Amino acid sequence: MRAAGIWFFALCTTRISAQWLSYPTPGVPRTPDGKPNLSAPAPKGRDGKPDLSGIWIVPTGKYLENLGADGVEIPMTPWAAKLFAERQENNARDRPSGRCLPHSVTDFDAHFQPKKFIQAPGVLVLLFESYHSYRQIFTDGRPLPQRRDPAWFGYSVGKWVGDTLVADTAGVNEETWLDDAGHPHSADLHIVERFRRRDFGHMEVRVTIDDPKAYTKPWTVTIPWEYLPDTELLDWVCENNKDTQHMVGK
Amino acid sequence: MRLFQNLTLLGLAVGLLLSPAMGQWIDYPTAGVPRKADGTPDLNAACPRTADGKPNLSGVWIMEPDRDITPNFPGCEPTTEEFTNIGFVLKAGLPYQPWAAELVKTRRAEQRLHDPLSHCLPIGPVRLHTWSTPRKVIQTPGLLVMLNELNASYRQIFTDGRPLPVDPNPSWNGYSTGKWEGDTLVVETSGFRDGLWLDSTGNPLTGAAKLTERFHRINFGRMEIEITVEDPKAYTKPWTIKLNHILKLDTDLLDFVCLENEKDASHLTVK
Repeated sequence: MRAAGIWFFALCTTRISAQWLSYPTPGVPRTPDGKPNLSAPAPKGRDGKPDLSGIWIVPTGKYLENLGADGVEIPMTPWAAKLFAERQENNARDRPSGRCLPHSVTDFDAHFQPKKFIQAPGVLVLLFESYHSYRQIFTDGRPLPQRRDPAWFGYSVGKWVGDTLVADTAGVNEETWLDDAGHPHSADLHIVERFRRRDFGHMEVRVTIDDPKAYTKPWTVTIPWEYLPDTELLDWVCENNKDTQHMVGK
Repeated sequence: MRLFQNLTLLGLAVGLLLSPAMGQWIDYPTAGVPRKADGTPDLNAACPRTADGKPNLSGVWIMEPDRDITPNFPGCEPTTEEFTNIGFVLKAGLPYQPWAAELVKTRRAEQRLHDPLSHCLPIGPVRLHTWSTPRKVIQTPGLLVMLNELNASYRQIFTDGRPLPVDPNPSWNGYSTGKWEGDTLVVETSGFRDGLWLDSTGNPLTGAAKLTERFHRINFGRMEIEITVEDPKAYTKPWTIKLNHILKLDTDLLDFVCLENEKDASHLTVK
């Protein structure tokens, strides 16, 4: 069973015991009993913009498993539909992460393991616990590069629209999948992520996929992120992989 | 081919060929660079500082090359002696425990067959300092992050006053905390897993190791990193070396995912 197999593989590597697990995160608003007050207002940076920094977790694995988990229509072109069907029939055996390659933009947005946002002047960094990988979103006003050699995480630039950080990404390597189900994309993929920190403990991440070769019109999924106080990212390296050889498919 | 009989050189070549020969955003100017009257960057200008008055180590850095390998490997970037042997400057060599000396002999004979780098595994903080592709330091209040071009990996150094964990799960990067002593950021790291390599020679680092790094940005364009390794399991006494790093302007980290289309590991053999 593919789903069960993936979950077993994934969950076995998550936090059994953790270092610094109880070290209190500085600056977290707390209720009188000392518990984090996750419905306090979102913090702001020196520039008055919301500060997205912190460790975040998606409370479900369903979006990683399939970005369309909430029933959103994913209007695939015949090319994409054929490739998606092949991947499904093949038990998603060729999924890059099955070979210890990292996830990419949308599947890391959807990933259920912790990720850490670091908002620094001119750049936002996302550190991912899984695959020990990171991604940069430049907020220093630079444009997307004209020439784009395919890159695993593409090239991302962000700007503030009101209290929402809007990140544009292009140039994503075609090797990557949009999710573990195998929704495909072409070299023309354009991703727009809208990060809105609703309050201290909740971030709404709206992800719009625009890829005319793969989808007949843009489609959007909303992924909820929850703040994870008083913890840290743990060591997670895809090593000693004995699974790939046992993956079955057509 | 002679090249393929020497995996040390092969690994070197494979690694260095992946360095940024051409890049995206390579022309995008780094912000805040002091300039001379003629408009060129003034790398000897004073080290920049953060709002709290501490030196700001942020920037894209590489180790200053001291060895030109381009005659043997056209297209490759120059490298450093420490990349091959972390104890290169130590006249007496590294103070090995007997078993560690034997291990290094074995690893040399095996030509990096079990080098984590040969298998796209992490290489740890010390070896990352000598690796030829750049890393990016981002200094924020309470946290310094090092982003590595190599394998899109990162390292966190906590500067928020937290202590080192007492009995951590062993990890590739260990656990790092830093504090300022004057203008030097002193970073202590422990909690390594066993089996790390400090260089291509295979000089070991064990789980008993404590690493102290002293980061000193001496001016805008240069940073010294003094490294002291205390690893009584592998070495009879602590040893200290110093690495010189230089700032890379108007560029950024490029895409480098080691396992992508990886075809080398299955061909690794001992001659």
